[in-house]
Amino acid sequence: MAEQAAPGAQARLFYPGYAGHSQISGRTLGFWLYMLSDALLFTALFAAYAVLDTPMNAAGGPVASQIVNPIEGFWQTVVILGSVTSYSLGTVAMKSGHRAGLVWGILGAILLAIVFLGFGFGDLAALAAHGAGISRSGYLSAYWVLILTHAVHMVFGILWMLVMLAQIVRLGFNEMVVARLLNLRMFWQFQATVWVCVYVYVYMIGA
Amino acid sequence: MAGAHSDPLTHPEVAQGGVLRYIAGFISTTALMGAALVVTLRHDQPYETYLGLVGGLALLALVSQAVLYYGLDISRSQIWKSVALMLTMPLFIITVGLTVWMFQSLDQRTMLMPQTMEQPTLLQ
Repeated sequence: MAEQAAPGAQARLFYPGYAGHSQISGRTLGFWLYMLSDALLFTALFAAYAVLDTPMNAAGGPVASQIVNPIEGFWQTVVILGSVTSYSLGTVAMKSGHRAGLVWGILGAILLAIVFLGFGFGDLAALAAHGAGISRSGYLSAYWVLILTHAVHMVFGILWMLVMLAQIVRLGFNEMVVARLLNLRMFWQFQATVWVCVYVYVYMIGA
Repeated sequence: MAGAHSDPLTHPEVAQGGVLRYIAGFISTTALMGAALVVTLRHDQPYETYLGLVGGLALLALVSQAVLYYGLDISRSQIWKSVALMLTMPLFIITVGLTVWMFQSLDQRTMLMPQTMEQPTLLQ
């Protein structure tokens, strides 16, 4: 008696390289999910900051109102939003295949990101010079870690942009390069979103 | 998710960006943060009212970024990003909310606080 295959035994659940799968959509959704998990990292830091933002945890050292300046923070907000907008406008130029437009957008984003980091590291250096370093108190540890975590994200974003500049010139707008550029756009916009939370939570409510 | 595209530049996620949308995102977020700054500098409301006002402006700024920068909506190419964000939002609120609530409770019951507190914080 001939053996009968079970119904559906020959069916395949996934066809590698199937034309119906979109590499770009798959990559951007995957990166979006990664960014949501990254946002949870910041959520944990915000929770720690809320707990440690008390005079007792300042241990005789400075509290938020003595180290943050909401007006300077506002200029930082304008600069980081400008950087995000510059990159995003660059990707609009990409729609019509204009490499130069995208390259200028990325260069503008890098320049403004460096200005933003200059503000931030200047503030941290001034704090350290006044003895308010990361280990001075529980409150300052939370403050430094929150600001530095965001700054590290910004630095990696700048490095990523430099790599993409080289790939745009060498490889042009192939599927992989376009997917990476779209992921970088989300990553960069995410930095502005996190900064809005930092600005409101630390610079405004703290002031 | 959108299907395959022979030219990556015609992909819906590339096509969704627009000059007006990004400039609107910049202007709206900057204006909302500027309004929150004015409220902060005036300092003439009770603390709870102030928190509500600034929190509301921040929420509007975040929604504005979600729509104008990220381009989140319920279109075929964006629906799963929107759903993932909606499912993650409660985790943000639970993480910060429960932590602050637990430590506020601990703070009131077990910690002796000095009487020199001049500025309210979320724990008080």
